[in-house]
Amino acid sequence: MEVFLTSPWIPAEWIRAHGLEPRAIWSAPQFWSRTFPLSAGVCAFAEAAVKFSGVRSDAAVVFTTTCDQLRRGFDASLLNGGGRTNFLFNLPVVWQSPIAKELYRSELDRLGQFLLELGGHPVTPEGLRRELLRYAEIRKRLRAAAPSSSARQFAEAVASFQWEGAFSSAPAAAPGKTVSLAIVGGPFCSAHWPLLEVLEAAGGRVVLNATESGERSLCPSCEFAADNDEPFEVLLNGYFGGIVDVFPRPNTRLYTWLRPRLRSREVRGIVLWHFTGCDLWRAEAPSLREAFGLPVLLLEAEEAPGASPRAVNRLQAFVETLK
Amino acid sequence: MSGALAKLSLGEWDDRYAQLKRNGFREPDYGGPLGRHLARERDFRLQSLRFDSSPAALRLWNFLLTENQRLRQARAKGDKIVGTMKDLGTVPVMAYSLPGVRAFYPDGAWWTPCLMEGSDRLLQQAESMGIDASFCPVRAMLPAFQNGEHFPRPDLLICSSGAVCDDFSAIAQRLEHFGHAILWWEMPRRRPPGLGEISCALPGKLAAPKIQVDCVRTELQRLAEALGGLVGQTLDDDRLAEGIHAANRVRRVLGSLRRTVYFAPAAPLPALEMLVTEMLAIHFCSDREETLAVSEELLAEAQARVAKRQFVTTSSTVRIYWVNPVADLRAMNLLEDLGGRLCGSDYMFTHALDLIPEDVPPLDALARTALADPMVGPTSERAARIVRDCRAGRAEALVISRIPGASHCAREGEIIRETVRQELGIPTVEIEVASVCDALLPTLGTRLQALVETARARRKV
Repeated sequence: MEVFLTSPWIPAEWIRAHGLEPRAIWSAPQFWSRTFPLSAGVCAFAEAAVKFSGVRSDAAVVFTTTCDQLRRGFDASLLNGGGRTNFLFNLPVVWQSPIAKELYRSELDRLGQFLLELGGHPVTPEGLRRELLRYAEIRKRLRAAAPSSSARQFAEAVASFQWEGAFSSAPAAAPGKTVSLAIVGGPFCSAHWPLLEVLEAAGGRVVLNATESGERSLCPSCEFAADNDEPFEVLLNGYFGGIVDVFPRPNTRLYTWLRPRLRSREVRGIVLWHFTGCDLWRAEAPSLREAFGLPVLLLEAEEAPGASPRAVNRLQAFVETLK
Repeated sequence: MSGALAKLSLGEWDDRYAQLKRNGFREPDYGGPLGRHLARERDFRLQSLRFDSSPAALRLWNFLLTENQRLRQARAKGDKIVGTMKDLGTVPVMAYSLPGVRAFYPDGAWWTPCLMEGSDRLLQQAESMGIDASFCPVRAMLPAFQNGEHFPRPDLLICSSGAVCDDFSAIAQRLEHFGHAILWWEMPRRRPPGLGEISCALPGKLAAPKIQVDCVRTELQRLAEALGGLVGQTLDDDRLAEGIHAANRVRRVLGSLRRTVYFAPAAPLPALEMLVTEMLAIHFCSDREETLAVSEELLAEAQARVAKRQFVTTSSTVRIYWVNPVADLRAMNLLEDLGGRLCGSDYMFTHALDLIPEDVPPLDALARTALADPMVGPTSERAARIVRDCRAGRAEALVISRIPGASHCAREGEIIRETVRQELGIPTVEIEVASVCDALLPTLGTRLQALVETARARRKV
């Protein structure tokens, strides 16, 4: 059975160790295939997840509590009849509080119970260890490839990893005189990838994809320091310590993670990618500007898939001003 | 029943105040004519409101409108000021359990642009600080912190985070980027207990798994240590138990007031004053004892009016259940002008009105209360309570007041409306009320009027 995840902070290894197939929901072909009629203020990503969970009743969808839109999207999905196969994972926010890690641990236990109810099998330490090692290796290779890869193909490589847990190498970007950019923000779905090409055509290049579906999603580091390390603890520590996102409070880890990468890759501008109604990302625009001294372009995901003329225009103008 | 009691304009109230004074009217030290708030604080919105004519209501308004001034006086006296954000009702109970501590919600600044009719320019300043009109009016808090012209800068700033609204979380994070240290605490999203989990009863006929109650209790313990550290005292169980008991006295009075007003054949007190009074529950308007006195006086007034069959609306007015607070207080006047009256309300803090359990250890009780927050649980549970309350208040219609820019409003309104339609079959409407809604009054009025007429038409059926 496929289990679709709405956040990279839900361990895919945990799903796979239960014998089920974890999938990043934003990589699903049917996820963003049409324009949704949206009520005012509803996030198109959350709405797509709700609609998707309604259509794919043969699969499970794991929502998270990281934002109002997904949290209440889960509520809406229950009204649509998704009670048995939808799950809401409570991702702790106050990461410096001693209770947060315990909350994350208890949510993993609860998710495990849900996976068993879906028909998954009990996890064995060996099975979990095997998955952790495999995923850690792929993440490491993808992270190493990130700085020099072509932006589009790197996005595809990460998507492939998040879809089937496999590694596919991304070819290096062609050298050229381009403006180095970072894209930072929420989920950047396959439907939005054409924007990367728009950027390149305009003379820019994304050297840091720090969206929820990009390099930032590769942060969890589940490494075994010793042979007798308990796999579940490695999973817990790797994920809980690897959540680099906008929603934790304080969100200093996001800035700590971005700073050296922006500097070493000589980024000259940040594209802040967000969905309508995403207060968490929108509010960071001035803080990003102040923290890194870089121009920030707010780019709002349109309700329709693909690159809208408005988005293309904004990106072209942004690159032009940085040349 | 006699005709409806007339409400007073600001000018009429000042005339009445002079008359009362001539007759020997006595009031607390924060008292005085309402008109002075216009002159001193530039609370221009008062000119557009219609007020209840009772001395109890005057006391309420003076109490509300002098809060910042009273906080500054408390600081001058040596009290510590705690800014507590977002949890709406729980942390202040802890803070007021300690001597020499005053807690308030900087969130309350969201009404400043309304009261000052935008002359404060807080919303524009928030925009210049990167928080534009796509965020809810609580963004007024951000410049208010920076310029220090409204509330005093707190000695300790506490904010719940987790299953809270994104606008607030984002704005609070921006505040921290500006250098205001925040003590964050985790509020998990409430869920029903699963199979095999120990269930804990929460106020409001809710339940949560014990693991969540334990989590919140541990967080509140952390806050208790910080609050105690602020004044060099221990916030122990005895103090907390006393604090809970005192908070419950206020909640009991407010509960009686709500029942007296909402269940009466017509409204003995106006919707506007009821909104303001219910708001007292969340942090006692910075003075717990005075909140009790203000509420008791209003309750006595309401009970006396019911006994004398004196009301501010007629008995033919449509009984409306109201969901969410309004950014512009004038909207509550509008409801009554158009033939509606309140028969119940959920202003997003029903957990601050429910009694805090006194039969469990204090921190456990507070954890259960915090978890009963209607905004941290499933929308279906909030909707279920609204349905229960609508039944109790014999609601004929439901208004959902959307808060401009608030992320939670995007979806929850429709879920609540759908539930109410299915369960009760009463007409519902969703309106959006801006901080100063004058430009939208015709639209708002039309929508509310349509609702009232629809509800009236159903009576004939």
